[in-house]
Amino acid sequence: MKLLIVEDEPALRSSLVEYLRQDGYVVEAAVSYGEAHEKIKLYQYDCVLLDLTLPDGNGLDVLRTLKADNSPAGVLIISARGALDDKVLGLELGADDYLAKPFHLSELSARLKAIIRRRQFQGQRQLLFQELTVLPDQAQVLVHGEPVVLTRKEYDLLLYLLTHPGRVVTKASIAEHVWGDAADAADSFDFLYTHLKNLRRKLQDKGAADYIRSVYGVGYKFSAE
Amino acid sequence: MKLLTATNRYYVLLAGLLFTIGSGLLYVGVLWALQREVEERLLQQRDYLRREVGRTGQLPGTPFEGRMQLSAQPRPEGLHNVLLLEPLENELEPYRQLTFRLQLNGQPQWVSLSKSLLETEDVRRLIMWLLLGVLGTLLLGVVLLNRWLARRLWAPFERTLQQLSAYDVRQHQVLQLPGTRIEEFAQLNLALTRLSERVAADYAVLKEFTENAAHETRTPLAIMQAKLEQLLQLPDLPAPAGPLVADLYAAVQRLARLHQGLTLLSKIENQQFAAARPVPLAELLREKLGQLEAFVEEKQLRLEVSLPTTQALQLHPALADSLVSNLLHNAIRHNHPGGLLQVILTSKELAISNTGPVLAAGQQPARFFERFRKQNAASDSPGLGLSIVQSIASFYGFEVRYEYAAEQALHTLRVVF
Repeated sequence: MKLLIVEDEPALRSSLVEYLRQDGYVVEAAVSYGEAHEKIKLYQYDCVLLDLTLPDGNGLDVLRTLKADNSPAGVLIISARGALDDKVLGLELGADDYLAKPFHLSELSARLKAIIRRRQFQGQRQLLFQELTVLPDQAQVLVHGEPVVLTRKEYDLLLYLLTHPGRVVTKASIAEHVWGDAADAADSFDFLYTHLKNLRRKLQDKGAADYIRSVYGVGYKFSAE
Repeated sequence: MKLLTATNRYYVLLAGLLFTIGSGLLYVGVLWALQREVEERLLQQRDYLRREVGRTGQLPGTPFEGRMQLSAQPRPEGLHNVLLLEPLENELEPYRQLTFRLQLNGQPQWVSLSKSLLETEDVRRLIMWLLLGVLGTLLLGVVLLNRWLARRLWAPFERTLQQLSAYDVRQHQVLQLPGTRIEEFAQLNLALTRLSERVAADYAVLKEFTENAAHETRTPLAIMQAKLEQLLQLPDLPAPAGPLVADLYAAVQRLARLHQGLTLLSKIENQQFAAARPVPLAELLREKLGQLEAFVEEKQLRLEVSLPTTQALQLHPALADSLVSNLLHNAIRHNHPGGLLQVILTSKELAISNTGPVLAAGQQPARFFERFRKQNAASDSPGLGLSIVQSIASFYGFEVRYEYAAEQALHTLRVVF
């Protein structure tokens, strides 16, 4: 799986490159519009992470070039311009998703995976983890091949954690991913605990091991160890 | 008082004064001239009589027009005004009389020549009426002309004034003032146009600065957040470091949310949400309540909802969303476990009530709407929720009212459409 990261800010670029390499992607980076343009003309990528404000041009033009070339690459816009117009324009031009800075790396990685899953028609469209199988198209979870009935939120929680096996996922990023802005209504992230407890119970009832580990004061980790 | 009225007042005062003095002088002058004329005639007659008497020793036979009286008694000589009886009409009429002494047959005689002033009186009256008529008409005409001219001349000023009162810097416009031939107004318009250009340019610069500052802040926030998240992933991160990094992470999040809230507020103030479409509020509220179900259940709140389908309001979707979310989040956040959450929508207002902390005697509800005002200082919320509600409401001309019912500690926020 090959990614191109177009981001002019070195510190952010290095974080993205490193984080996504650990996720198992082949990652290349471009620091400017010129470099990005050259790379997309020369190579094929599965997904392009695109910053809109570049020193020598507009990221939207990279998107236009990709679409004009009928490139199969997915495009995820990461922009510091929070303007609604940019988002609308980006999506209209054919970007797959839009993420405003600042963002959670785990959220970025989850969205990236969703884009790749949606675009991958030949590949297996399922996530496997030990005895767990998640079929995102049907929003179904199987334990040892047996379906488990989960609520929408429990399913979203599981999918989010499962997307980051072995990684510490912060409570804030889970809350934001699963509940969105509604999480603002809570005084704290304590409500996550109730939902995770139910999820764990339902999975264990079907004979799955407990893979959801709590990381004290930080968040959770989905791990077999 | 209008400038026009004020100037007109002085103008009429001066004109009236001048006309009065002028008419008086003219009247007196004409009268004097007429009297002189009469006196001259009388003197001519006297000279004639003296000459004739000197030549013939007799008074001439032909009587003069007017009257002549002879008296042997001495009478005061000179010119006098007298009233004499007009035998035909049996009335006293004004005369000018010249009395002088004549040596007639060796005897001194006092002759009085009289000439009627009645004609003079007629002329005087005629002149008076003419003067009054002409001068009055002239004065009135001048006042009217002046008023009409002033209206006409001040019209460009009135237009400038109208444009100025309608001027709003947030519309990013420069004043478009009509051209005028009056130099002062042309100068005023030019100065105002330049001023508005400067204001618009300054405003644009300020806005661009705010936008740039906003967007430049996002990048370091993104870097901080990404690095902290990476730090959390380090396999050999000492266990006690976890919560420290997590706190730091939460602080960055809070900063990001604060930033988001302030950006939204400044965007509303800059009127960057012009687009509006009909938003059915009942539907939006139901959707939001659905998303908040987990939090309502978590606090075991008693939910009382009345959401009849009402007329859709013309709102920007993002602002409608923000308004409703902030109100609901606020009502859930500040509620106590097992409390009440009431959402009542009518065609006139949206009222959201929640039980919550008891309002202390000194607390001013108006201050809840201030930015960064928080019930609980330890709260993670940036304290912008109600400011945003207020700002969106005033953007659409809605009124936000806060009510507090002490017996239940029930806080109600009403948005009156």
